Amino acid sequence: MIVLKDVWKRYYRYHIFHRSLREDIISLFKRKQRQGLEKNEFWALKGVSFEVKKGECVGLYGPNGAGKSTILKLIAKVTYPTRGTISVDGRVAPLIEIGAGFHLDLTGRENIHINGAILGMRINEIKRKIPAIVDFSELNEFIDMPVKKYSSGMYLRLAFSIAIHSDADIFLIDEILAVGDEAFQEKCLDKIQNLKKQGKTMIIVTHNRKLMEEVADEIIFIEKGEVIDISGLATLYSKPKHTK
Amino acid sequence: MTGIPLRLNPYRDLFLIFIWREFSIRYRQSIIGVLWAILQPLSMMLLFTFIFTYIMPMHITDYPYVLFFYAGLLPWSFFSSSLNYAIPSLTNHYNLITKIYFPREILPLSGVAVAFIDFGFASIVYVLLLILFKAKISWNIFWFVPLFILLLVFTASVALVLSALNVYYRDVKLASGFLIQLWFFASPVFYSIDRLSLKLKLILFLNPLTFIIENMRRCVIEGRGVVWWQFLFMTVFVSLLFSLSYKFFMVTERKFADVI
Repeated sequence: MIVLKDVWKRYYRYHIFHRSLREDIISLFKRKQRQGLEKNEFWALKGVSFEVKKGECVGLYGPNGAGKSTILKLIAKVTYPTRGTISVDGRVAPLIEIGAGFHLDLTGRENIHINGAILGMRINEIKRKIPAIVDFSELNEFIDMPVKKYSSGMYLRLAFSIAIHSDADIFLIDEILAVGDEAFQEKCLDKIQNLKKQGKTMIIVTHNRKLMEEVADEIIFIEKGEVIDISGLATLYSKPKHTK
Repeated sequence: MTGIPLRLNPYRDLFLIFIWREFSIRYRQSIIGVLWAILQPLSMMLLFTFIFTYIMPMHITDYPYVLFFYAGLLPWSFFSSSLNYAIPSLTNHYNLITKIYFPREILPLSGVAVAFIDFGFASIVYVLLLILFKAKISWNIFWFVPLFILLLVFTASVALVLSALNVYYRDVKLASGFLIQLWFFASPVFYSIDRLSLKLKLILFLNPLTFIIENMRRCVIEGRGVVWWQFLFMTVFVSLLFSLSYKFFMVTERKFADVI
């Protein structure tokens, strides 16, 4: 279960870190955080509220810069909200941007270990799952080759295979469904449907509307940091501003 | 400080994997591989021995220069290479930090761990040199272990603070080469503080490495013990420094993904 309640996130427009570090050090001594907006700052999220129940598959849809990835980052606990609360129940596996964490000099097999561990797998678990991961990626002959020699398609397939074999309860899938050739995409969709059947919670971000409608139970439309519409039966805590 | 094992325990496999990864990347496609770990302190030791025997003949110590320099360079190399690995560790993993959660201290600390493996290899040479030069070993050699733990904790503190600061200001990375060099001359690696005046000693003791390196050398090649109250004082100081550094890291960590 994921619940976002009136979540605001402030970002800096330029690289002005000095104040932010000073703030951090000051906040060591005092609890209260600054709430307002200063020059060169903007709200990436403005009071976003929604909830995702266990086993649900939710799509986030909206133009570039709407705040979709920020929401995923918040759910993954990579960054924290300026205001509002987020509660996440269960282990999260962000299907991170393809190959983040891959090291080019290491072999496919070695990278499975690293990426698996980053996704929160235990070493034993990784060892057990390697055959399945390799099979799924269809890279049997190349798995002991340094990944710098892979084609970009092979690279993507390996990364996707690792992520999809995680035992996590919640999957965050950010724009990575366009993986490999058509046959492999078909396979990925099958796998996602499969995970859904196993009762995994999923949040999907993609610009491919057709694909999203195929897998998502409901779609949350986001624009300029606000939820403008939720199709389906999601619970709304606050009405979007411009409908007031 | 009791929260740290609790926080890191679920991620210990990741920690191990990162150490293994750093280690195997380092020596991949290199011919002499792990010998590099030995080469640095060894070549520095040879250079110092050459300089202070032939170019600037100077009486530094009654013990063989080879042993004396190596005894100082061993802990120093651990400290400096830890910092070299750790300082850019967070910014190098930009794509992980902005995408996925894990305790960030794993990155700088695995840098320290890799330096520790290098230290292990370099220690083999130390043992060989001790045998070769027939050093008189006494029970005081066991001081080496608690002193090394002090060095480890001190190094980890510095690594945590500097790597976190480097996320905010890349100046840290730019300054680190030069700062480490300054620090080298401020530490008793190729000199001993034994015969200095009390006033000078006190000034040099402001640098915690002075106490650690000087005593790590004494307890092994000179067979001398460590003054208890000094050791206790340093232990308290280093522990305090570590908990402050860790706290600093935890506070700044929350914003890494936003400012990196």
